[in-house]
Order: sequence, then structure tokens, then C-alpha cells
Amino acid sequence: MATPGSPAGGSAGTPTDLGKGATGAHGEDGSAAAGAPLAVELRGITKRFPGVVANKDIELRVRRGEVHAIVGENGAGKSTLMKTLYGMHRPDEGSILLHGREVHFKSPADAIAAGIGMVHQHFMLADYLTVLENVVLGAEKAHGIGAEARRRIREISDAYALGLDPDVLVEDLGVGDRQRVEIAKVLYRGATTLILDEPTAVLVPQEVDELFGNLAELKREGLTVIFISHKLDEVRKVADSITVIRRGTTVGTADPKTTTARQLAELMVGTELPSPEIRTSTVRETPVLQLRDVTVAAPTGRPPVDDVTLTVREGEVVGIAGVEGNGQAELVDAVMGLRALAAGTVLLGPDDITAWSTRARRDAGLGFIPEDRHRQGMLLEAPLWENRILGHQTRPPAVKGPFIDRRGARTDTARIMRDYDVRAPGPDTLAVALSGGNQQKLIVGREMSAAPRLLLAAHPTRGVDVGAQGAIWRLLEEARAEGMGILLISADLDELIGLSDTLHVMLRGRLVATLDPSAVTPEELGGYMTGARTTAGAA
Amino acid sequence: MNVLRKIGLALFAPVLAVVVAVVISSAVMAALQVDPFEVFAVMVDFGDTPSQQVTALVVILNRAVPLFLAGLAVAIAFRMGLFNIGVEGQYRLATILAAGVGAAVALPGPLHVLLIVVVAMAVAAIWAGIVAVLKVTRGVSEVISSIMLNVIALGIASFLLTGPLRGSPEGASIIATAEIPESGWMPSLNGVFGLLGLATPPRQLYGFLLVAVVVGAVIAVLLNRTRFGFDLRAAGLSPSAASASGVDSRGMVVKTMLLSGAVAGLIGMPDLLGSTHAYTTDFTSGLGFLGIAVALLGRNKPVGIALGALLFAFLDRSLVPLQIQDFPASVVTIIQGTIVLAVVVANEIARRVARRSAERGSAAPAVVAGDGSTGPGQAASGAASDGGAADGGVGTGAGVSRSAGAGQRSDERQESGL
Repeated sequence: MATPGSPAGGSAGTPTDLGKGATGAHGEDGSAAAGAPLAVELRGITKRFPGVVANKDIELRVRRGEVHAIVGENGAGKSTLMKTLYGMHRPDEGSILLHGREVHFKSPADAIAAGIGMVHQHFMLADYLTVLENVVLGAEKAHGIGAEARRRIREISDAYALGLDPDVLVEDLGVGDRQRVEIAKVLYRGATTLILDEPTAVLVPQEVDELFGNLAELKREGLTVIFISHKLDEVRKVADSITVIRRGTTVGTADPKTTTARQLAELMVGTELPSPEIRTSTVRETPVLQLRDVTVAAPTGRPPVDDVTLTVREGEVVGIAGVEGNGQAELVDAVMGLRALAAGTVLLGPDDITAWSTRARRDAGLGFIPEDRHRQGMLLEAPLWENRILGHQTRPPAVKGPFIDRRGARTDTARIMRDYDVRAPGPDTLAVALSGGNQQKLIVGREMSAAPRLLLAAHPTRGVDVGAQGAIWRLLEEARAEGMGILLISADLDELIGLSDTLHVMLRGRLVATLDPSAVTPEELGGYMTGARTTAGAA
Repeated sequence: MNVLRKIGLALFAPVLAVVVAVVISSAVMAALQVDPFEVFAVMVDFGDTPSQQVTALVVILNRAVPLFLAGLAVAIAFRMGLFNIGVEGQYRLATILAAGVGAAVALPGPLHVLLIVVVAMAVAAIWAGIVAVLKVTRGVSEVISSIMLNVIALGIASFLLTGPLRGSPEGASIIATAEIPESGWMPSLNGVFGLLGLATPPRQLYGFLLVAVVVGAVIAVLLNRTRFGFDLRAAGLSPSAASASGVDSRGMVVKTMLLSGAVAGLIGMPDLLGSTHAYTTDFTSGLGFLGIAVALLGRNKPVGIALGALLFAFLDRSLVPLQIQDFPASVVTIIQGTIVLAVVVANEIARRVARRSAERGSAAPAVVAGDGSTGPGQAASGAASDGGAADGGVGTGAGVSRSAGAGQRSDERQESGL
């Protein structure tokens, strides 16, 4: 392990090659020329949005006729990258090369004309139209809308074993068939490179196998597939090569044949950051939060949170580890009262708060650092002092009786800015003007100022710079030492191991393992998170 | 200076909108071979004698009062992200029922007026409440349901007018409800002109003007200075953030629509209590829709809405003089229409300008912080690549530490890049 946490300059140049020997895939132009030519090459792609760098120095090389997987956590920047490639927005820096020639897409129409097709995660089909009509919609010029189009769809269906009947209503099709309609749509438009965004997210295992069969057909016909996923086992099954994205940048490539899921998981979540060591236990006896058999139901399918039981005591940090999308977000909503429980109880201190409103919970001493601060933590177009009030509308210093205490809110915002090192011109600055790290510090400061009994911290250091990350970790430690209970949901293994007193692993809505953070390694933890390791079969 | 800039930004959009509207409508007039300058001259000509001028002013104010209330009703809903198109139906139904109740009872003066006003507010609030209930229980878009309820409200109003509440004799050209007794009339403010030393005009300045001013002030305080207003605005800015902060979004929809409806109920009151004293077939219509335009023009802020209402009232007043001078009255409609369009565009431009200037605001202090990290970052890169060489082919460690650097650098840049 190289010096952990040492910031390395010139990092973008050479990403890690896992299992390089097996394929000798790339790294130099020479080797690429020796193998298949590159269908898609991205060089130094950087894409910024206000307040965040979504992609940074992305390097991607996809050979013609391969299935190339792009893996990374949610929010790592996969979707932004694919939108760049599909012409939905233009990169701020870097270049896109298709078959060796540089291209500039102004819109998806340009990308489609250049042979790139996108199969979205959420299907874009009209239920009450037939397969034929759906496929032809928007591409009427290609083969008309009649017999010629029908013949062409049959051809595509036969060539790639999609098994589509052009005259069936999409309404009557299952999920797998609908996905094949989407694939047929992009093929019909002449795509030679297909982007599949999380295609297995909606499929059951048999359908996944069918999809992989289709992908093999596509590959056999010389088409290129870019496959976006965070399901490592599937990726290893279907991909010819893998590129890993973390925190908006490509951190390495891997050969699926020689790389284990564990190695991939390590690359995906990273194990490099300096972690604060809190080893003097401050855990007290009194429980502040107890979840008993908490289940959250979904309209269809398995419950996103399934029978979760856990306890957070005073002065304790309870960490929930898990690959994203395994029910953590729903669990957070359930604790905050934003989502109704199908079963189970939630206790805050001695009170059963299962039926309480979000406001009542907050008033009772529940603090919340949301996963997505723009969505749940801030009013971007409001000044900082109004953001100070958000979530604390019922108590001083921001409020006097039914009225807003503007002066009190401003003064206290200035205090938070001072104490928590929020860099902004003043309390009247709009929140949107702050960088992600400063926004997060304001949120942390705001929640800490109310001295909650329990702090629900969901990915508290996501998308913030290393300096702010360290500061937030210190704040959490101090709060813990003062007796605050903290429920920490994170995908950052070092954060979890470094901060937690107790560590639960969440997989498919269940708590599948309870680990001692002082004894577990990031590698082991990664194994539990992906289901590669279970408590029964210890390694 | 800061205050000046703030005012400048606030005025930028509406002024730009009015200027654009004047330019466009001038072009339209020119195309119709009407001299725009003559038209504008007629519009700003309030008459020769002091009495005429004060009368013109009274006409504008009387027209502005209901427009202001309509704009306010729409704006309350807008501030929480709800589009209450149903103001039209809400005030028409409220006015006829209030007129019916007012005519049916006899009470001492202020109480009588109060009863009429309360009935109007209650009816309109209930009518708006239906929209809210449909939205929170069945997920019906408030736009659709309020449009539909407009149609129903107008149907009920004409049924009531021709049926149960009819007060005019058979065969009268204008059907009306029974007249409200004099105790239910709102006294005019014409005494003010005497105090100011102005000529007393033949027209009555609506006493309801004072009520409208008070309502405007109350709503302004409610929205900007109270917890309720904060919750409402938060829900408008970001429904998800508001729910996470503990705002009960369903309850908020209901409360907001009730409030919006209650204010909508006041729209017909100035005319009803001040001049017509009965609901008639030719009672002022369309105020609910004009209210949407006025709210947009005023950027949903009470003071802005007042200015917008005055502008629209000024335009409306010029209808008669323009027709007397043989100019097409549609000129005014064209100007109003282009103002609304221009306002929508200008508001968006102003919003972006404000946002961009805000984003630029924080750039300066952060740059310094970003620069500081360059040194150590490069110094450490040597160590990282050494590790990579030692690990050889399976260079997990190397990759890991390198990406740490990358992550950090991009984040630092994020700090300074704003």
C-alpha cells in the first residue's frame, strides 16, 4: 500500500491496470494498434457544473467489438460521462475520438448520426404504441413507417436474436422485452456503439442472462457495447474490459478474467484516504435510537428495507456500510419520517416516534445531514441565513414565536461561518454561490448547533474536498465525545472504519453482518458489501 | 451601494419587460398604420381640467385594487410552486354568493360589510380548497382541476344569477341579484381629495383601497417574516428540502390554497361594495387571469404586484379615450399581452444574472485556499509512483494513492473554480 492519503500530482496520466498481463490491453497507442482499433476514445474529459466537477481528466479507451464496462458508485460521474459521449452536453475540456477521428457533438442527434446509441435505464417507450411504432418514432426518415420499416425491424430482431414482433403493443411486453425494444431502437438508427445505462437494474436474473446473450450477439456482429453498472459480479461475467470511475475520474482499468470482485470493489470505493482514528470508546449505556424490525415496502418487488434492527447509544457512531442502492436511502427516509414504514418501530430515546411527523422528530432532537445536499439540505436560491433556518423553523435563534428572527438568524449564521470555517462573503450570500465543501460545512454546522440527540449523517463527506472532509470528521468525533449518537451511512470504507464504533453491512435491504471496525480491513468490508463474503463462510 | 444594486436588480426585469413590450407594440401599431406616438400621447393624457385628471386617477386606482388582490391571490400560490389558475372562478362564485347574502340580511353598517367580505373569502377559500384536496389525496394537478372548477364555478354563478338569487325584474336587459342595502356599502374615500386640496371628482374612490393595502401588508409580513411564510417559500424553492426540514407538504398545499382562495374572494369586493352593490351579468370578469399576469409582472412580491396592478389599470383606463379618438382598443390588449410574454423572459434573464453574480461573488477568497495545495501535491507524487513501481503489475496500491491525489485536486479546484 503506497503512503495512504498522500496527494499525488500528475495522477491523470496513467490509470492503474489491474491484471494487465492477461490482455496487455492498452496503456500505449502501440498496443492498441496491435489489437482491435478503438471504437471510442475519451481523452482528458472534464465536465464542470456550478459548484461541482462531475468529471475530471477522464481517460477511456473502448475497442471495437468489445463489451466495455464502466463501473463506479452512484454519483461517481458515470452518467455525466455517458451524457457527454451521447452529446447531451459538451465537455469543458478534453476530446472525444470515434474510430480515431475527433468529433464534437452538439446534440444527441449528432451522436446518433455518428453511430452512438443510448439505452436508458428508464425506458423511453410509449405503452400504447406497437413495437414498430415505438422503434420508428423519431426515425421515420430511415425506412418509412410501413412495410419497409417492419422488414428492417424483423432483420434486426433476427440478426441479434432479439425475438421481437413488430406488431405487439409495448404495453403487453415484459421488462426484458421492453429493453430489447430499446436496443432495437438504437440499432434501427444505425448505432454501432451502444451505451447501456444500468441495464440490469430492472431485470430479474433470468432476464439478465438473456440480456447477456443478446450482448454476445451484438459483439459477434462487430458492435461495441459500453455497459454501465455497479454490480461487480455481472460486470465480470459480461465485460471484456473494465474501467473504474471514482469521484469523477478514471482510477483504473481491469481485466475481468484476472480481477476479483474484491479488487474491483477496492478500486470503486477507494481505500486511500487518511482516516481519523477514534479508538477511545465514548459509548454509553442509554440508547438514543432504536430501530426494531423496520421494513419499508416498495410498490413492487422486494422491500428496499427489510426487517432492520439496530441500536445507537449515546456517544456511539453506528456505521452502515453498503454498496449504494441497497436500501440505505430508504432507511434514512424511514428514520427521518419521510417514508412510511410497512412494519416495525422507531424509538428516539424512550419515545416511540414511528408515527411522528418529520418536524416532530426534528424537534425531539433528530439532526440530519442528507446524502444529497442540493435536494434535501439546502435552498440553493436562498441566502445562507435562510438556509440556517431550514430544518430549525421551530426554535431560536432563528425564530421568535410565529415570526422569523432575521437578525438572530443572520448573527447565528455568521457564527456558524466562523466556527465551522464556511468560506463565503456573508450571511446574505446565496447558497448556490458556495462550493460543495462549504455548503456541507454550513449544513453540518447548522445541524450541530441544534445539539441533536441523534445525528443522521448520510454520506457526510461526499463531494467535498479533503480539507473539508477532515474537518467534518473532526466535528463528528467531537460530537460523539459529547454524547451525541450518530448513525453514519456511507460508502466510503475508510470513513466507516475510522469513525464507527459499530459497523453494520447492508445488502439488499437487510443488515447482513455486524462487524468490529477495529478488526476489519477495507478488503473484508468490501467483500461483505458485495455479498462475496458472508458471516457464515468467513474467509 | 449594495442597496442600490439590489433595487437595480429587482427593477431590471419589469422595466426591461415594459420597454420590450412598448417596442413590440409600437412595431405592431406601425404595421397597422397607426402612429404609436399618437397612441401613447392619448394614453398619458389624463384630461385638461383638474377634475378630469383626478377622475382619471380614481379610475386607475379603482381598477388597480381588484387587479392587485387578484395578483396577490395568484402570487401566494406561486410562492409555494402552485399555479392557481382557478382565481377567476373562485372570485366570481364568491362575489355572487356574497352579494346574495348581503342582500338577504340587514345589519348595522360595518358588520354588514364584514359579513359580506367574510362570506366571499370563505366561499373562494372552499372552492380553492377543493383543488388542494384533490391534489394531496388524488394527485390531481392543480392546473387541471382549477381550470375545470373555473368552468363549474361560472356555470353555478349563472345558474344562481338567473335562478335563486335573481333580483332584477323579468325582461330587464341586465340580470342582477337584489341590491345590497345601503348599510352594506363601503364608504368612498373621496374626502381625501378635499383634505389634499384637490378637486373632488364625480367618481367615487373605492374605500376598499385601504383594505387592499392592509391585506397586501399582511401578506407581505406573512410571507417574509413568519415561520408559516418561510415554510411556504421553502416548499416553493425546493419541495424535497422543505419536507426534509419538517414541512408537511400536503398540509402546506391545503393551507396555501385556502389562503390564496381567501384573498381571491376579495377580488370582487371593491366593485360590489363600492359601486355595483349587486352581482350582474356584466360584473367585471377576467380579473383572475389578469391576476396571473400582474403576479408575474410583480415577481410575486406584494410591492411589485401593486406596481403591476397600477400599470395594468393605467393601460385599461386608456381604452375609452383611445376609442373616442378612433384608435383600435386592441392596442392596449396587445401591449398587455407582450408585457406578459416579455416579463416571463425578463424574469428568467434577471434570475440568471442574479445567480451568476452570486456565484462570482465567492470566487475571490477561495482561490487562495486552492493555490496552497499545489506544492505538497506535487511533492508527494514521487512517493506514490515509487510505490507503484514496487507493486509491479498488480498495482492496486499505486492506483489508489494516485487517485487520491486526483480526487483532492479536483475538489480543490472545485473550491476555487466557482
